[in-house]
Amino acid sequence: MPPIIRDKFTIHSKAIVCQDIEIRGDVTIGAGTIIHPKVTIFAIAGPIFIGNGCIIEEGAIIINRRKDVMRIGDDNLLEIGCRVECPEIGNFNTIATRSRVHHNVRISSFCVIGAGCLLAPTEDETLDDYTVVYGPSAELRTWSGRGKVQEADLRRKHAEYLKEMLPKFNRLRRGDGT
Amino acid sequence: MPPSILYHCSCLSSSPHPPPPNLPSSSYSFHPLHTLFFCEECDAVRCNRCVSIEVSSYYCPNCLFEVPSASVRAEKNRCARNCFMCPNCRNTLSVVPSDPPDTGDSRLSMPISSLNEPPFFLYCNHCRWDSAEVGITFEKPTGLAAQLQKYEDSAPDSLEFERLKEHFEPFLRASSLSSTIGGNTTAHASSAAHSHHAHSNSITAAASAALARDIPGVSKYQPLTRTTSGRGGSGKDRSRNKDEMPEYRSRVEISKTSAYGGGEADVELMDHIETIGSIATLEQRWVNSWISPLQTKELKPLRIPLHSKRSKRCPSCTHILIKPEQKAQSVRYKIKLVAANYLPAITVALPHAQKAKAELAKKQLGKSTAAAVEDASISASNMHAGKTYAFHLALSNPLYDPIQVRLSAPRMNVSTAPVKDGSPEKARRPPFAISLPSSGFSVAAFAEAWEYEDDEDMFGVDDGDEFGMKGGRETDGRGKVRTVGVLERRANVTLVGGEVVIGKEARGDVKFNMLVSYTYRSDDPTPSESNDGDGPSSTSKSSSAANKQPEVKTFAFYTVVDLGHIIPRDEPRAETDF
Repeated sequence: MPPIIRDKFTIHSKAIVCQDIEIRGDVTIGAGTIIHPKVTIFAIAGPIFIGNGCIIEEGAIIINRRKDVMRIGDDNLLEIGCRVECPEIGNFNTIATRSRVHHNVRISSFCVIGAGCLLAPTEDETLDDYTVVYGPSAELRTWSGRGKVQEADLRRKHAEYLKEMLPKFNRLRRGDGT
Repeated sequence: MPPSILYHCSCLSSSPHPPPPNLPSSSYSFHPLHTLFFCEECDAVRCNRCVSIEVSSYYCPNCLFEVPSASVRAEKNRCARNCFMCPNCRNTLSVVPSDPPDTGDSRLSMPISSLNEPPFFLYCNHCRWDSAEVGITFEKPTGLAAQLQKYEDSAPDSLEFERLKEHFEPFLRASSLSSTIGGNTTAHASSAAHSHHAHSNSITAAASAALARDIPGVSKYQPLTRTTSGRGGSGKDRSRNKDEMPEYRSRVEISKTSAYGGGEADVELMDHIETIGSIATLEQRWVNSWISPLQTKELKPLRIPLHSKRSKRCPSCTHILIKPEQKAQSVRYKIKLVAANYLPAITVALPHAQKAKAELAKKQLGKSTAAAVEDASISASNMHAGKTYAFHLALSNPLYDPIQVRLSAPRMNVSTAPVKDGSPEKARRPPFAISLPSSGFSVAAFAEAWEYEDDEDMFGVDDGDEFGMKGGRETDGRGKVRTVGVLERRANVTLVGGEVVIGKEARGDVKFNMLVSYTYRSDDPTPSESNDGDGPSSTSKSSSAANKQPEVKTFAFYTVVDLGHIIPRDEPRAETDF
């Protein structure tokens, strides 16, 4: 009954993708992106493009139910257990542990979705740059942007560390095909 | 609501019997076992309501620094070091340096911590608030409290407070001398600089207090007229009645300035607000100690309030029941006399409800809605009027000696039925009958897990689904299926079954008091004592035990067992679900 999902993975050679992940559909992963084990990426209806330098941690679920391309930008951090369905994510975002983002939200750059937050507005919404969502009731506020250079630096160091350590303890998946 | 059991603490009341559990007001005297303490001297259960509590130490929850009690007051109950609280989300703030000037991405190799870029500011990791939004920045990353001190001291409210203190200080001093000998601690504290006037000798202090007391018709004798000088108007004050004092003129006229809350400026502000988020919430304003700004963007970071570690004492014999360790980091206790170490822990279960829940869970496996499962299991565990249900009590023994337990349900004359018009007799009949094992049974001693032998005596079937059994108690005639009595013994837990017969007209909850009395061999050389709360059954037991062994002690306590809600027979089921 469901349409046949044709797997087509385009993984950059500099990306670190662990083997123990569930990945289906048309997925493109950019350079320097690190995907931890136990990640689920389902490009069910449409393709998913993941940018450069992203860090996707264990238990993250990325699902694209729409026919359009789902674009995830550069240098994002998707923490453990998060669930992302939004059609567009910009750069340098942080989607914290166990948060859930619905498919009618578009996230710009430098946003932070706090831990455990559920971002499911009733209608289509675009989060501006520097938006912070926090608290159990998902309050919104705007970040001043102070400290973003340090945070960018930290993320790069995070990615570099993982690039060294992950291959030592996990099998990597390389190349195209299933 | 799953079946539960709560323990009764008499809270030093004279009657050992607990109040009837159906009254809503009786819930105050029943507590879960983990909140109760046990005093060894009085051999009694103590609860949080009857113990006397005193502060053992103060500490900051963030830096875990122990603040000596003397400086707690001086620091206004807040942490004096670098611990601040975000006014937005009340998370802890961390001190971060500012971003280095933007030179592109070439500074990868330099670690951030060595970048001591002033100005430093406070930053909340959770909501990304930072103190630069309100204009507070620091030159050094340490000693923030000192750097903020000058801001705080020049705040108008603290200046006002200082002025008030100066104004009232002479009157406080005068009244402290004419009052009791010890003097008011408030007067002493506020006049710390002037405390040298206080008499060093208590005898002279008593004498001066006696001299200074009011005698009608004679003007007050003021012994300090010579020593205090330099106060211009004070001579005039003394000749008047001490209740009068010159009018205090505040530094700032509150009604004129609109910066301190209220007034026209606030109304203007409210007229022009654009988003509701720009006004501070009540919670945010009240946590802020003095001035509560109306706007969110004016909220300042606060010092973290200190927490305290408390020690608890028995109210009658004042022995310490709980004494925490002095170190703030350790969560252990030097003295820990909790009831769970002395009283057997009892858990109640309804086997028919457990079976229904297991079946439901199997059907809904994989569904992510746990709420639906819970609702369904709640409705399955409710009891229908007119039926008989079995329930299981599991008692686990915390002592290192085996105990003999005897359960009994004292009779109570209450009903759960709402009083209907014209049927007062119905209100008296108890709506359900409980049958418990009448004989005593033993529970094995507590020992480490590897010391238990692997023999499990199963006396009955675990799932006593006894729907069709009317007529109450099941005797040992049928060896296979037995609901009332000892069902199972495993390690230091004994599973006992009981039965409840619900009357046809019953409504409400099935709650009944249960007296648990147990005897155990104690290390004390004193002969067995019978304590408060003993039922008639245990006194006979203890007296007989006293003849046998002089070291056996008996203790009894009341509990309330709540088995759940009764679904009345005539009403439809959906109405009574909650």
